[in-house]
Amino acid sequence: MIDRTKVPLPSENISFEIPKINYFTSSKGHEIFYTRKEKLPIVSFSIVLFSGSKFDNENQKGLALLTSFMIDEGAGKYDAFQLSNEFEKLGTIFSITVNHDTFSFSILSLKENFERSLELLSIILAEPHFEEKDFQREKKKLLNKIKQLKDEPSYIASTAFDKQIFQDCYYSYPSIGYEQTVNNITLDDVKNFYVKYIKNSKKKFIAAGCLSEDEISNLIDKYFTPNEILIQEVELKLPEKSLTKYFIVHKENSAQGEIRIGHLDGLRKSPDYFANKLMNSILGGEFFSRINLNLRERKGFTYGAHSSFNYYQNAGYFEISTAVNIENVGESISEILFELNNIKQSITKEEINLAKSFLIKHFPSNFESYTQLAQSIALLLIHNLPLNYYNEYINNIESVTEEEIINAAKKNIHLDELTILVVGDKNKILPQLKTMTNELIELDIYGNLTDKLKL
Amino acid sequence: MNNELLKINYEKHKLANGLEVILYQDKSLPIVAVNIWYRVGSANESKGKTGFAHLFEHMMFQGSQNIPKGEHFRLIQEAGGSLNGSTSFDRTNYYETVPSNYLELALWLESDRMGFLLPALTEEKLNNQKDVVMNERRQRYENQPYGLAWEILLSNLFTSNHPYSWPTIGWMEDIKNFQLDDVINFFKTYYSPNNATLVIGGSFDFDNAIKLVEKYFGEIPSSNSIPAVYAPEEKLDNSKKVIHEDNVQLPRIYFAWHSDKIFGYYDASLDILSDILTSTKNSRLTKSLVYDKQIAQDVSSFQYSGKYAGMFLIISTAKPEISLDEIKKEIFEQIDLLIKNGISDEELIRSKNSIKSHYIYSLQKLDVIADHINHYNFYLNEPDSFMFDLNRYEKVTKEDVIDAAKKFLQNPYVELHIVPKKELIK
Repeated sequence: MIDRTKVPLPSENISFEIPKINYFTSSKGHEIFYTRKEKLPIVSFSIVLFSGSKFDNENQKGLALLTSFMIDEGAGKYDAFQLSNEFEKLGTIFSITVNHDTFSFSILSLKENFERSLELLSIILAEPHFEEKDFQREKKKLLNKIKQLKDEPSYIASTAFDKQIFQDCYYSYPSIGYEQTVNNITLDDVKNFYVKYIKNSKKKFIAAGCLSEDEISNLIDKYFTPNEILIQEVELKLPEKSLTKYFIVHKENSAQGEIRIGHLDGLRKSPDYFANKLMNSILGGEFFSRINLNLRERKGFTYGAHSSFNYYQNAGYFEISTAVNIENVGESISEILFELNNIKQSITKEEINLAKSFLIKHFPSNFESYTQLAQSIALLLIHNLPLNYYNEYINNIESVTEEEIINAAKKNIHLDELTILVVGDKNKILPQLKTMTNELIELDIYGNLTDKLKL
Repeated sequence: MNNELLKINYEKHKLANGLEVILYQDKSLPIVAVNIWYRVGSANESKGKTGFAHLFEHMMFQGSQNIPKGEHFRLIQEAGGSLNGSTSFDRTNYYETVPSNYLELALWLESDRMGFLLPALTEEKLNNQKDVVMNERRQRYENQPYGLAWEILLSNLFTSNHPYSWPTIGWMEDIKNFQLDDVINFFKTYYSPNNATLVIGGSFDFDNAIKLVEKYFGEIPSSNSIPAVYAPEEKLDNSKKVIHEDNVQLPRIYFAWHSDKIFGYYDASLDILSDILTSTKNSRLTKSLVYDKQIAQDVSSFQYSGKYAGMFLIISTAKPEISLDEIKKEIFEQIDLLIKNGISDEELIRSKNSIKSHYIYSLQKLDVIADHINHYNFYLNEPDSFMFDLNRYEKVTKEDVIDAAKKFLQNPYVELHIVPKKELIK
């Protein structure tokens, strides 16, 4: 019999080299971020433009996303079906993603098909067709998607929460827009958005894969012409701080309550970033964090509960999210508030060591796949982080002191500025919140105020 | 493409207690993936007692004799690893990926819960995880638009004694009624070394790895014979139509046919058929329903095959003001056309290229490769079946695809409509 009571210790120390990210300018002047990986004959490639849905016109929210739906509906000599067919023949995965900050084109392809995939992408960027019949169809599809989301409790909770914490600034509305604002969009608006924010604006190139620096540089020069126009930023007006409020979005007979709790926070480049990351890992970032252990493993109220510091390019926020059995909404909120208060009072050395150990030792696995590599590079661009950021990451985590982590909780979690929001059946939830607040603000599914309920 | 890419070098061992061990070395990163398949899934459950295999996906993380509740998560987290498990009809898997110097930790944790779970299993833990599973059911199925479609289809396609007729998470009533004794018996019956295969993939030394496996798993006794699953061949005599009201905005129609089993003669052809029908803008149903006629918001299809049965599904969401019958008519017209006029070379090549590329993309992550190895070992008894698997798609001819459509899609089927609640009140 072996002694099973002792936890086996790790064997020899291991070393891991963080992939080196190179930045260079091609002969034509393209800015390229690149890392080489040889293991499989794969290339993961992206073009990032800083022209996301924050540039949507005021009464046309959803414009950037609808433009992304339209841009690959036929280009150059190919109609929409032929164009799609060209990618399909190659087995290349081509995708366009839009969020508030960026508009990105991505390719995952076999090395042997990379050049042809890149050529197709260049045609899409340079000569999209934008035909009326495609526009009508894509617009209807988008409107129906918006309609379908009316029944997704987690989507409603996140959208209403964003609306409340960001109020009227451009991070407050969903990239997909609203029925009314998408209805306002015409084909000309899409064409204008393309000309103003896509066609001529500066592009950054990201490549991770089994290609040499010269190969990638030459291919980009062969198919793209550099653009130097920088987009004029729109002004961001973040709302003033406000005192803690309780909100509800009514969903009749819901089996669960979707809960969101949080507030605005600093930027990704904040000096508190690493301390917050560690503190959040203790609070709610992982399965083994306090909030999940409490709500799931002790109480059994939920399948999971999570907290995070989230970062847009120009704003950040702190958010806790969970879905709990409808009978346990009130108690779940109390427990979350208890945990928020409690982490300001005490954090143990063991918890700090565990959080550090996890973040440091888990770090290499963020660079396993070609797609992960390309995404890691994109993150540097979006937040304007230095090229050696990942090489310094482990040192940065290691050097955060116990005091800094405790201060992060004290300084960056604001109990008196919380937005506390639930999506669920109000008839069941109202009585559960009586001891916590005397006013509950009712919102529609988009997060706009509809009523104030006295408890 | 270089075929060597898909050739894996492995060692397969069997311990005296029956545990199969497959070692696959890849030293490109200092990580190891430990992946155990237990040959037990929801198909091993019985009517009235569904959801046990999935419940174990929870109970196996609640601690064992030498590992207090929560420690499994904490230790893997401290090591910088990641972990999870999943349940299907045929099997459950448990896996962790850890830095390579923590291989021993992962084996210690996996062996303790294989050999010594019961001494630590309490009523209190069971009740807690029953609540968690009921909340999982609410969050993922009951509170999700269209979330109950899958279990409605299964319970109509199969007769109520067939082991594929219930969802892997189990029926809510059964979850509520889980009894500790039943849970203990289920564990004793199925969670033994002779009913499991352990795959270790990644950066390790062969001799050391097998020594460690022997050290931690060698002393776990094997169990008595494992009961066989009773799963008779089934067919529908007549098509069935089910209408279900839900909190949805747009009605959705589902068709489910009995089809071929996994790795059965038509299994690959049915995957390709599904590609040709719905995988891209140029596929038949997508082009006709979503683009040309614009009567559907979306359409998808897939071949879902297991050890004891397979099914082929087509699913489409109607645009507002469009009736599901109109969608149905078009779907069947397209199937008839395909059977009558065949498919083109281009359609076949497109699908094969896509399958090939996606296959290579899937090899990027070690945990996926380790799971693939267990998958092939389980269904084919040969871990190195990567090339074999890809070749069975390469070999599919245009005629095979038509034959598959003829053989299965002309039979009776289950038709499910999920419709907005208010529509029925009208």
